[in-house]
Amino acid sequence: MTVKVRFFARFRELFGTDIVTDVQNGTSFIDLIKRIAGKNTEGYAAIFDENGSFREFVVLMQNGRRIDCADAATTPVADGDEIAVFPPVAGG
Amino acid sequence: MIAIQTKDVDIGQLINAAKQRGTGAVVVFDGVVRDDDITEMELEAYEEVAVKELEKIAGEAKSLHKLLSVDIIHRIGRLSVGENILIIVVSAGHRAEAYAGSRFIIEAIKAGVPIWKKELTKDGGRWVTGEHAHGSGKSR
Repeated sequence: MTVKVRFFARFRELFGTDIVTDVQNGTSFIDLIKRIAGKNTEGYAAIFDENGSFREFVVLMQNGRRIDCADAATTPVADGDEIAVFPPVAGG
Repeated sequence: MIAIQTKDVDIGQLINAAKQRGTGAVVVFDGVVRDDDITEMELEAYEEVAVKELEKIAGEAKSLHKLLSVDIIHRIGRLSVGENILIIVVSAGHRAEAYAGSRFIIEAIKAGVPIWKKELTKDGGRWVTGEHAHGSGKSR
């Protein structure tokens, strides 16, 4: 199955804008992001802490809805999902 | 009008349109690029989500503060010092509702709408740190 991962702001500069990737059935949210982030040492350190957990300020969305980092390990991605990963917002 | 766009807007036209039947006050918030020793500012948004969230905020502001009309235009792209970033125009029967509604909208935008700013300087650039630096790891 295929999912799209979108990074924004500083994370976009590190990973690129939209990444469309094939994933196996049952792949969790965190495993997917780790696989992509693992290709960039600086980017990985920007998103994950030394224990491999999402940094506190990282915001995650699945199809436009926020999900808790705590749920990322158990939440599987689904075919056609749009996953967004970004730093704290600063609009206005 | 709720929009995320590169082009500027005619604030006077928005004010005129906001003066609906029953209007006693129109409040305009105009956020501009401040001269913080920068050359320009680059703004970026997760547009599809940001527009939906702006629409939701506008709806909440209308019902909570009895607003008669709400316009929110957030600009993206590269902007120079002094240019408009965010224009909020609200109308209400009385000033108290109009001020409160306008304040509610700007605070809600800053708290959660996926938009980012990068200040460009002679030496490169720096991402603006949000006032609400919490992510999905903390309860909201």
